[in-house]
Amino acid sequence: MTDAAVLSVVDVLVDLLEPTTLVRILLDALSKSALYVLIASGLSLIFGLMGVLNFAHGSLTMLGAYLGGAVMVALVSGSTSEPVQLLLFFVAIAATFAALTLLGGAVEMTLIRPIYDREPLFQILLTFGLVLVLDELARIAVELYGLQPRSDWQAALGTAPGFLSSRYTVAGVTTRGLYLFEVLIGALVVAAIWAFLTRTRYGLYIRSGSEDSEMTRALGIDVRRTFTVVFGLGSGLAGLAGVVLMWDPRFGASVPLSVETLLVAFVVVIIGGLGSFRGTVVAAGVVGLTDALMTWLFINHVDFAGLPEMVTFLVLVAVLIVRPQGLYGIAEVGGH
Amino acid sequence: MSEPTETSDAPAVTDRRGAYVRRVLADHAVHAAVVVAFALYPIVYTVLGQTPLGSEFEVFLPRVHAMVAVLYIGLFAMSFDFISGYTGYLSFGHALFYGSGAYLVVLTATDKVPLLGPDTPFMLLILVAGLVAVALALAVGAVSFRLSGVYFAMITLGFAEVAHVFIRNWDHVGSNPRDGASIGAAGDAFAVGVPGIDALQVGIGRLVGDEFGDVFGIGVEFGTAEVSYYAIGAVVLVCYLLMQRIIHSPFGRVMIAIRENEERARAVGYDVFRFKLAAFAISGFFAGVAGALFAGYRRTVAPGNTFDLFFTAEALLAAIVGGFGTLAGPLFGYLFNASVEGVLSTEPHGIARYLRDVLSESTLSAGAGGVTVADVINVLVDGRADLYLGIVFILFVLYVPRGILGTLRDRLGGHVADRLPERVRSRFRGRNE
Repeated sequence: MTDAAVLSVVDVLVDLLEPTTLVRILLDALSKSALYVLIASGLSLIFGLMGVLNFAHGSLTMLGAYLGGAVMVALVSGSTSEPVQLLLFFVAIAATFAALTLLGGAVEMTLIRPIYDREPLFQILLTFGLVLVLDELARIAVELYGLQPRSDWQAALGTAPGFLSSRYTVAGVTTRGLYLFEVLIGALVVAAIWAFLTRTRYGLYIRSGSEDSEMTRALGIDVRRTFTVVFGLGSGLAGLAGVVLMWDPRFGASVPLSVETLLVAFVVVIIGGLGSFRGTVVAAGVVGLTDALMTWLFINHVDFAGLPEMVTFLVLVAVLIVRPQGLYGIAEVGGH
Repeated sequence: MSEPTETSDAPAVTDRRGAYVRRVLADHAVHAAVVVAFALYPIVYTVLGQTPLGSEFEVFLPRVHAMVAVLYIGLFAMSFDFISGYTGYLSFGHALFYGSGAYLVVLTATDKVPLLGPDTPFMLLILVAGLVAVALALAVGAVSFRLSGVYFAMITLGFAEVAHVFIRNWDHVGSNPRDGASIGAAGDAFAVGVPGIDALQVGIGRLVGDEFGDVFGIGVEFGTAEVSYYAIGAVVLVCYLLMQRIIHSPFGRVMIAIRENEERARAVGYDVFRFKLAAFAISGFFAGVAGALFAGYRRTVAPGNTFDLFFTAEALLAAIVGGFGTLAGPLFGYLFNASVEGVLSTEPHGIARYLRDVLSESTLSAGAGGVTVADVINVLVDGRADLYLGIVFILFVLYVPRGILGTLRDRLGGHVADRLPERVRSRFRGRNE
């Protein structure tokens, strides 16, 4: 029995160290990490600066997926050429980002601002109420439009240009063009957030606010307005992630996308550590790699469909046990 | 204690005893009133259903079948409040304990649990479900209580999600673990009562439970739902009284001290870690019992209504509406939520069907701009409980953060059980004078 177990572990390792296998896993990990960083970065900004664990983050991503899908379905017709399709995709991203930034800013000003001085619990509760309302509103709108809220929006999936849907061979491994495209978008967004945080005045406010909010206020910076801006931008980023997911056959626009992405965002942000964007990027890589490895293991060796998801949560639990503050978090924050 | 016989202080002793009994009764007067109200509900529901406004009552009052769910989910919400409301540690993975209790019952009945045969008495099974939950709570709590705040919420959520994913994919549960497991209508009902004595037990379950015809000779018949309601209600009542007793004990005071100021509680000399762990285990126990009651009544479990994050959220919603840190509040909170859900349900007893039946054809097709009344009902009423509950929930968080029972306590200036009888008494005295 144990001999067999040892043998199978050796088998798995031999199989794993095959070059094409490694490349396949790495490619899968890259595309997943890119998606995860997109999903989590908005939450990371909000949680880092304001300490508000925004439960509605996934719902905003879901709204983004539908909004982006609506723009694409409305503008793309059978005769649209592929470069134009790609261009329209960026229009959809811009429109969704703008719409959700406004929504997020409005939500912060009307609902979240009154409860900053209460226990953090109440912010969790309030944003949770938002999840119920937003998801139900989305369900109403989607049903009115004649779609099934539970299944992926196929028409939106179909608006992806042909060169993204077709497969390419990279280092002996075939992969969808879309997955490589997602890596590109992920890298662009990370670079943009990085530049925003380090090169702009608001980025400076956010970084200093995340580190020491009282001192920042004492230096005469309007932290309240910064909060509104960050909540808006975080919501916009959630929406942006949704637009990207709308094209991905592994996700697709559907109402349950809200919970799916919320859990991913939580895992990534918590593993990365409070208030550290670098941590979020690294954590997205860790989670993406774990997911890719476990998916490969499930397909080839272990007969348990829940393996990738379960191990992801185990990683969350393990990180919290070993480093409660997360990979890059500030030590004292984790304790309290 | 033996009865004192013909001694001079006999009247004093009975007097003292009488005073004790009177004090206990006074302390529990409100409890008794609530229990009586709950006990009368099925009878009142039946009687009101026979009045001319019967169909209106049926729309707005929860059915007895729904009230059974109020009892066991209410117990789950109270167990959630026990740890989250009293120690301040948000147990976001509380569904783990409920789910393990529920799955234990169903898997035992289908003979898939080692050591426990399918004919294990249900009362024993409830206890085992509670103890399994205690073991899980100790394991989860031992690592989780090193964290606090949002991080505690996240690690408990992480554990519950691990279990959720596991149970959704575990072949042992059934041929399609995503749909859960079911006992089916075959086989005996689970019996609640005194194990071993048939006369003192009743079977629960909507399809297989016991029923009694015309008990009081007043035309009220007790169907399976009513019998299950009383049987499960009795277990829930015992659980509530136990939890209430613990909250009011010195142990409970330490829990509150931890919530108010953990550093100080530690500085005073309490080993707060152990207290938190013990409170978590107790809370887990009652959540496990609630899960076992649910499985015993429904005879079917699914990952979605046991281990899911959104099931923990049911308790959270109930606790906020009813009152965080009030223990009994979450039961009333869930009663409120279940009533709203019942009224807005798509089923025949929901208000959408009622409106479609009652309103005339011309009213239904009336409207402006191509939108008819019937469309509005379909879109905004039929099965939209989540929308309105979400709005109510947000309003409660913003404007009634202490919940129904918490606000009532603030108004009365103390526990309702202490204050209400006093208020009532002084009101009556005031009138008499």
